[in-house]
Amino acid sequence: MTVGIEPHRTASADLHPVRHLDAFVVMARRSVIGFFRQPASWIFGAAFPLLIAAVSASAFARATSLQDFPDSRSFLQFLLAGTILQGTLFGSINASTDLALDIENGFMDRLLASPVSRVSILVSRLAGAATYGAGVTLFYVVVFRLFGAPVEGGIPGIVVMVVLAMVMAIGVGGYGAAVGLRTGSAEAVGNSFPLLFILLFISSAFFPVELMSGAYRRVAELNPITYVIDACRHQVLEGFSLGEAVVGLLVAVAFAASTIAFALLQLRRKLADVS
Amino acid sequence: MTATPVTTSTERAAPRSVPLFPVIVELVQRNMLAITRVPAAVGPILVMPIFFMIAFAGSYSAITAIPGFPTDNIYNWFVPYACIQGAAFGGIGIGFGTARDLENGFYDRLLLAPAGRRALVLGPLGTSLVRSTFPLVTVLPLGIVLGADWPGFTGLAMLILTGGIFACCTGLWALGVVYRLRNQRSLGLVQVGIFATLFLSIGQVPLAVMEGWLHGAARFNPTTNLLRMARQGFLDDGVTWTLTWPGLVASAAMLAGLGLFALTGLRRLDD
Amino acid sequence: MQRHFGEVEAVRRVDLEVSQGEIYGFLGPNGAGKSTTVRMLTTLLKPTAGRATVAGFDVATSAHQVRRRIGVALQDAAIDPLMTGNELLRLQATLHGIGRRAGRVRGAELLERVGLTEAGDRRVGTYSGGMRRRLDLALSLIHEPEVLFLDEPTTGLDPSSRQNLWSEVRRLNAEGTTVFLTTQYLEEADELAHRVGIIDGGLIVREGTPIALKEAVGSPTLRLDVLATDLDEARTVMAAFGEARPAREGRIAIGLENGANRLAEVVRALDERNIEVLTMELDAPSLDDVFADATGRRLEGADEQGEAGP
Repeated sequence: MTVGIEPHRTASADLHPVRHLDAFVVMARRSVIGFFRQPASWIFGAAFPLLIAAVSASAFARATSLQDFPDSRSFLQFLLAGTILQGTLFGSINASTDLALDIENGFMDRLLASPVSRVSILVSRLAGAATYGAGVTLFYVVVFRLFGAPVEGGIPGIVVMVVLAMVMAIGVGGYGAAVGLRTGSAEAVGNSFPLLFILLFISSAFFPVELMSGAYRRVAELNPITYVIDACRHQVLEGFSLGEAVVGLLVAVAFAASTIAFALLQLRRKLADVS
Repeated sequence: MTATPVTTSTERAAPRSVPLFPVIVELVQRNMLAITRVPAAVGPILVMPIFFMIAFAGSYSAITAIPGFPTDNIYNWFVPYACIQGAAFGGIGIGFGTARDLENGFYDRLLLAPAGRRALVLGPLGTSLVRSTFPLVTVLPLGIVLGADWPGFTGLAMLILTGGIFACCTGLWALGVVYRLRNQRSLGLVQVGIFATLFLSIGQVPLAVMEGWLHGAARFNPTTNLLRMARQGFLDDGVTWTLTWPGLVASAAMLAGLGLFALTGLRRLDD
Repeated sequence: MQRHFGEVEAVRRVDLEVSQGEIYGFLGPNGAGKSTTVRMLTTLLKPTAGRATVAGFDVATSAHQVRRRIGVALQDAAIDPLMTGNELLRLQATLHGIGRRAGRVRGAELLERVGLTEAGDRRVGTYSGGMRRRLDLALSLIHEPEVLFLDEPTTGLDPSSRQNLWSEVRRLNAEGTTVFLTTQYLEEADELAHRVGIIDGGLIVREGTPIALKEAVGSPTLRLDVLATDLDEARTVMAAFGEARPAREGRIAIGLENGANRLAEVVRALDERNIEVLTMELDAPSLDDVFADATGRRLEGADEQGEAGP
C-alpha cells in the first residue's frame, strides 16, 4: 500500500529554517530546570558523598602517614577529587533517568519528530547533569575548604575540576542514556548504577593507587576514572598543572565521546525498530 | 453496629487454634520464593557482598601497616565485615517484600489470619536468618581462597551467630520502618539506617586507628561490639569471652529495642 | 459504628444487623464507605467510635476469635503473582491452623469447586482477572468460615465470570454461610442479596429486602426524551402525572402515579401540545430508583454520565 500526503505548501522556501543552537539551548534549559525542580532526587546524591568523606576522613586519617601516600594536609583533602566524581556520578544517573522517563512517557518521540539533530537532543538532555556536576564541585570545594581541606591550585585548579566534572557528567549520563534508550526503562537505568559504582571503587577515588597491590591495582591503573581523578587531585594537593589538566580532559572527553556514540547507536537502533 | 447473629452450623468444622511454628515455616518458604523465582534478584544478593569484600580489601590493602591495626592480612579484616554486611541485605530484603505486600494488599491476607501477630514478625525474621547464611557460602570460601585465614570452628560459629543476629536486627529495623510508612519508598530510610550503623562502627578500621568524631560514635555504636564478636576467629587473639560478652549484650539490647520498634509498628497497622 | 481519617469522616454512622444464613448486600457508590466498613468488620481497622460484633465476638476486643470465623475476599484480590494457586492455598491453610495433609485435601476440593484444578500448579501471575477472583474466593473458604465477606467481588469481571461467581456465592449461602457482600452494581445486589443496605456519604440511607425497598419507592419511572426546544413545556405537562425524579441532562423522568394505566393519557397530553417524543421508557422501580429516592442522585452509570437533579 502507498500513502501519499500532499503538502499544504509547495515552496520549500516557506519552511522555517531550523535554528539548531536555539533548539539546543531551549532543550538544555528544560533539562536543567527539570533536574533542579526535583530536589528530592539529587539532594541525597549530593549529601551521601559528604557522609562517606566525613567517615573516611576520620577512619583513614592515619593513612596519610603511610609510605607512598601523596603529600597532603589531611585525608579529607586527598578525598576531595573522589568525592566530586562520586557526586557527579549520582547526578548523572538522575539525568539519565529523566531521559528514560522521556522515552517512557512519549516525550522523546515528540523531540525525535522535530527537525533538531539527534546529538542535540541527547546532549541537551544531559545539560542538567553537567550543570549539577559544576554546582556540586563548587559546593564540595567550599565545604572541604571550611573543614581545612583547600584546593592548592586556587581558582585555575577549581576551573579545571569544574570542567572535568561537567565532561564526566555528560560521559556518565551518556552511558545512562544508552541504557535508557536500549531498555526504555527508568528502572533499568537505576539498576545500572552499581556498575558505575564498581568502576568508581576500583579507581583512585578513595585510596591512592600507589598503595594498592596485585591485580586490583592493575585494574585501577587502567580505569579511565583514575586518570580524571588524578588530574583533579593534582590541582587539589599540588597546585595548578596544565599538563595534568590536559591529560585528564583528554581521557574525560574520550570517555564522554564513546558513551555518547554508544547512546547514539542505541538511538539509531530504536528509530530503526520504530520505522 | 451489631452484626451478631451468626452461629456455627453443625456440619462446619470448629475453629482451630493456630500453632505458631508451621506458620513461620510457611512464611519463610513464601519469602524465599521471591529469591528463587526471580533470577535477577539473586545476582545482587550473592554478588554485592563479594564485590564489597574485594573492593575494600583491594582499595585499603595498605591500611594494615598503620600502627595499631590488629592484623597484617587485610582479608582477615574485611571478609567477616563483608559477611555481616551481606547478612544486613537480608533485612533490607524482607523490608522490601513486606512493603510490597502492604502496597498491593497481600498483607491484609496475613493480618486477617487468626495466627498470632508474632508470626508476622517471626516469619520474616526466619527469612533473614536463612539469607544471612548466603554470604557464608559465597564470601567466606572466596575470601579464604584470596588469602583470609580459616577462623576455626569456634570463630566460624561466632561469625554465623553474629550474622544471624545482625540480619534479625536489620530485619526488625526494616519491619518497624515499613509498618509505619507502608510503602516501598520507605526502603531508602531503611538502607540509610543500616549503612549508617555500619559506617559509624569499626567496619573499616579498628577504634585504635580512628580519629576525631568517628571514634566517639563508633565507641558507643552497639554494632561495633557485634563486629568485634564476628571477627574474633580471624584475628590474632582468637575467640575470647572478653570480646564475646559485649557482643552478646549489644545483641540483646539491639534485638530488644528493634523488636519493640517492629511490634509497635505492627500494632499501628490496625489503627 | 464510625470511622474518621483525620478530618475525613469515611463512615459517619453505620448501624445494621445481619442474620445467620443471610446474604446482605451493601450497596453504594465509590467512596461511600463500603470498604471502610468491611475493613472494620473484618478486624483490619479499628472503629473510631461504636462497636461491632461478628459471629458473636467483638471486632475490637476479640479480633482473634472473629478472624477464626470469617473468610474475606477483599476488593483487589491481592495475590502474590510468584506463587502458584496450590502454594497459596497451602499458605492460607497453615495461617488458619489446618495441617498439611488436611490442607492439601481441602485445597484440592476448593480448586475443583472454583474450576481451577488444572491451573493449580501455575503461577498466579499468569491467571486472568476472573481466575484470580475465583482463587481469592477459594482462599477465603479454606477454613470453612461462618461469615464470608466479599468486597466488590465482581468489579472488573466480564459478564460470564460474574455469573459464575454469583452461582458460587448462592451455593455457599445454601450450604449455610452468611455472606456480607459489598457492591456498586445494582443488578448484583438485586440478584444475590436477601436484604440490602444502601450507604452514601458514610451513612446507611435505606435498608430492607430489595422487593420492599422498591415497593416503597412506589410508582414506576417514566423517562422521556424530547427536542431541546420542547423540554420546558414537556416538563410542565409531565408534572401533572407525577413528581420529577433525577435524570441526566436533557431528559425528563417522573414517578408515574398509577403506573402503566396512565401511559396513554401522557401520550395524548404531549400530542395535544405538539411535543415530539423521541424516546419513552417506563421502568418498574429499581434499586437505582431507591438510591435516587434516598440521595437525589443516580447510582447506575454515575461514573460515565453526570446525573442531574430533576
